[in-house]
Amino acid sequence: MSTLPSSFRDPSGFVFQYENRIYRQVNNVYAQSYEKFMICGLYEELTARKILIEHTEISDGALPRTDECHKILEPDQLRYISYPYEWSFSQLKDAALLTLRAQAIALKHGFTLKDASAYNIQFHHGRPVFIDTLSFEPYEEGKPWTAYRQFCQHFAAPLALMARTDIELGKMLSSHIDGIPLPLASRLLPARTWLSYPFLAHIHLHAKMQAGYADLAGENQSSSQDKASSSKVSAKGLRAIAESLASFVNKLDWTPPKTEWGDYYDHTNYNDEASQKKRELVDEFLSRIDSPLNIVQDLGANTGEFSRIATKHADLVVSQDIDPVAVEKNYRKSREDKDSKLLPLRQDLFSPSPAIGWANEERESFRERAGCDAMLALALIHHLAISNNLPLAHIANLFAALSKWLIIEFVPKSDSQVIRLLETREDIFDHYNIEDFERVFGEYFDLREKQTVHGSERTLFLFQRK
Amino acid sequence: MRFTLLTLMLTLSLDAAAYLDPGTGSLILQGLIAGIAVAGFTIKTYWYKLRSMFGKAPENSLLDDDEPESSDQTQ
Repeated sequence: MSTLPSSFRDPSGFVFQYENRIYRQVNNVYAQSYEKFMICGLYEELTARKILIEHTEISDGALPRTDECHKILEPDQLRYISYPYEWSFSQLKDAALLTLRAQAIALKHGFTLKDASAYNIQFHHGRPVFIDTLSFEPYEEGKPWTAYRQFCQHFAAPLALMARTDIELGKMLSSHIDGIPLPLASRLLPARTWLSYPFLAHIHLHAKMQAGYADLAGENQSSSQDKASSSKVSAKGLRAIAESLASFVNKLDWTPPKTEWGDYYDHTNYNDEASQKKRELVDEFLSRIDSPLNIVQDLGANTGEFSRIATKHADLVVSQDIDPVAVEKNYRKSREDKDSKLLPLRQDLFSPSPAIGWANEERESFRERAGCDAMLALALIHHLAISNNLPLAHIANLFAALSKWLIIEFVPKSDSQVIRLLETREDIFDHYNIEDFERVFGEYFDLREKQTVHGSERTLFLFQRK
Repeated sequence: MRFTLLTLMLTLSLDAAAYLDPGTGSLILQGLIAGIAVAGFTIKTYWYKLRSMFGKAPENSLLDDDEPESSDQTQ
């Protein structure tokens, strides 16, 4: 049994991997809650609404288990794990609203969410889904919401900061694994947000209350604990808090400004004909791949134009880009189209998502997760090789480590995009030419196809890993 | 003193299964804002009832879906 390193906080159970499948053990300590959860109609309603991931109970005695085991569950298997610091604004917002919906439905059935971690949400078949089946506990009359602070740290604070201070602040979630500390969020938000009730209540005042009660010791501590234990919230109150948070989150909006990439397709040096030809070539190269494509990675995907072509050939296309505007547009379109095979994510390839958490094992790095059957790297190489000074061998080495197949576009120095990159700096890139590119990549891959994109100076390659 | 603190901490742990530290400040704050939230929610409910009497469609809560979604999920 291989327990997942991320699954240790909650004593109710844990997640483990066995023969390439993921299972969840329910421990005896949570047995009563689990059985009640399953029969009271809550599980049924949550799964019917596609809020919670479905599971089956496994009676197979061959599966490993510990002495504390009550039951083993096999959840619907996820294809790709992504993290909140890789989501666009609307992805995090949808995940927040989903969490509150789960809480509202739980309350209706006499339950409550005992945690509200953003890591309990994954994107599955194109939509957010709650994956922690053991997060629901019977509601005790008068007990406040244990997960309120966590919800504010994991969702309300980062969304507020992204909407009102700077979209880049969403990335702070990777340096704060239990969400953004509220006093920090409060300091970073514009002063005028003090005048808005939801900001005042859920962030600013919340931060002050935390700071005020955090370091009390001795007799002060006992008086604060008295106050805490006497703080009663009815089920109606909890529902109203969830409503208030939902209204707050829903009103937070981010209008993407025009950025370098967000309007890329309107301003490329591709004319319509070349653009159409490139789409056809990508489609054709993907058809040439004779092995099944479970996962395709599209790196530098922009708003996902070519990822959408790849969805015709694969079960899942992870469509990653550095630009928050492009990823936001990509997600909004995939949501509108109900595209079940596309997963837009933010990824800075110059410094991809690190492994974080305890022993650097709780949340995996980009590299640990990015293995795929085929990779698209279109209009990307010049950014890696010139903007980031990467030798071609470094690029070929990583791509070959991640993918069996590679569809890559070579953008020569004569291309206007490369001319622009070299305008303000010395050209130290003697080896950046198509001959060297082909030779270096040929050390890692066998060339299967090579075609000039008609109407442009670019060339598309189909490589198969050696 | 130590005994008193221990007793307080035991009585404070309302549920043995709760593994998160809810934060003292967060618990107390909830008591305050729940009252305001309930009042706001009640006013809103009556306001929409009033509106509906004049033929205006009631606004759905963000937390309610009318019907469970059909299983037409494209996969």
